[in-house]
Amino acid sequence: MALPTMTHSSAFLLPTGSSTPADAAATTYALIVLNQRLPRFAPLLWARGDASLSLSLSRFPTASLPALAPLFPGFLIGFPCFVSLTLVRACLLGTARLRLCADGGANRVFDGMLELLPDEDPAEVRKRYKPDVIKGDMDSIRPEVMEYYSNLGANIVDESHDQDTTDLHKCVSFITRNPPGPENSNLCILVLGALGGRFDHEMGNINVLYRFSEIRIILLSDDSSIFLLPKTHTHKIRIERLIEGPHCGLIPIGAPSTSTTTTGLRWNLDNTSMSYGGLVSTSNIVEEDEVTVTSDSDLIWTISIQN
Amino acid sequence: MLCRAVRPMDVMKHSSSFLLPKLNQPANAPAKNHALVVLNQHLPRFMPHLWAHAKLRICADGGANRIFDEMFQMTNDQDQKITRNKYIPEIIEGDMDSIRPEVKLFYSNQGSKIFDKSHNQETTDLHKCISRIHHHTPDNEKSDLSVLVTGALGGRFDHEAANINVLYVFSDMRIVLLSDDCLIRLLPKTHRHELYIESSAKGHIVDFFLLVHHQQVLQPLA
Repeated sequence: MALPTMTHSSAFLLPTGSSTPADAAATTYALIVLNQRLPRFAPLLWARGDASLSLSLSRFPTASLPALAPLFPGFLIGFPCFVSLTLVRACLLGTARLRLCADGGANRVFDGMLELLPDEDPAEVRKRYKPDVIKGDMDSIRPEVMEYYSNLGANIVDESHDQDTTDLHKCVSFITRNPPGPENSNLCILVLGALGGRFDHEMGNINVLYRFSEIRIILLSDDSSIFLLPKTHTHKIRIERLIEGPHCGLIPIGAPSTSTTTTGLRWNLDNTSMSYGGLVSTSNIVEEDEVTVTSDSDLIWTISIQN
Repeated sequence: MLCRAVRPMDVMKHSSSFLLPKLNQPANAPAKNHALVVLNQHLPRFMPHLWAHAKLRICADGGANRIFDEMFQMTNDQDQKITRNKYIPEIIEGDMDSIRPEVKLFYSNQGSKIFDKSHNQETTDLHKCISRIHHHTPDNEKSDLSVLVTGALGGRFDHEAANINVLYVFSDMRIVLLSDDCLIRLLPKTHRHELYIESSAKGHIVDFFLLVHHQQVLQPLA
């Protein structure tokens, strides 16, 4: 019996809205920031709701556009202002409706956004990048950071009594109980700061992908994007070749796979077994705009993010 | 009632005394010999300790750039030239697509053996380095040898996953992956394990995790 298909898109990383696939428009994004250095594209993923978007864009200083230029080589440099604003608006439209900081993630936003946007007014940047919720056991957030965001209206949810689950788990649980966006839209949770750092934290964060396997959760770093491919579906992964790849991998974490089949890769798998101690597909290369994966086991898909 | 006698598992002991200065070694450290493999990421801050402990140092490709560039700031040397002359790897191995030409020339002139494996794209640089050590270490000496690896964690996720797989593929060797934040090692199911915690190095060691093959079990060992 054929498995149902699940489609994946990284349209949220795209610099231009015009090539956004039709079904990606129905996706609502939530953003979670954990306590590690922000990746360079953090401002890209952060946006206010649609109503306030045009207001904040009209005050978007054109001097700040060159700060984003390294992300879009050739797009912004030399363009007239209004065209540049359109491109920036287009990329911000595909971004988060709900922004949560997990504990010290709030410190990272407070300090890190200024570093990523050095040409802008610091006070303006701090106000613009305000989380909607700060949640977790509160042992890392600095008191002045908590006070600042609390005064701006951020919802502070202290869960220091709950030491059984990680900060990421708490944030994902919160989002499932308070889903942003319209009821019939697809939810996709983007997570910054889940990879690297302490290995036990990284493993705990990857475990959250397995525990909430029915929700699309993407862990992002400067170097990589990873998400779970549940064995219950055949997967179609749309590759945004301007932004991601070509290096990719399929990792059987936690359980071996007896049979995985792929298309679209340089070294495709064909009913191939994978396991730790044996073959793990790494340093593979994406060759097509769409990669398909079918497996008898849950796999982690990973793709590199370009500089 | 029939009872089957179960032979108790052999015990495998682990210690992280390599994080301590060489003079402070406990008398009964499980692994007496160390080798060091340096991959292409920022060196951890305790790198000079690791270098001092190792009898063999191998740079995997761009790992040589890291030693060349970054050791100086971890020493009290007056001059980068002094540091560069002190820290010469015995071997540089890998596909050579990251090592800078001037770095390769410097170490080659200083006597490092360069093994260019660019024709072999089947295995990672770490795999090649461990394979070399594995090949040259007699079986009866493997339990006395601990291979310390820097730069295997963080960075590109598929690289990290492949590096962890090397622990499983060479499960008869003691291999420790180290970063600024933590260290990880495989605990093979064939043995009962005793881990000695260096409490003076507590700032470096956080948790030991058991990542069991075929099972998603994550458990800190106190």
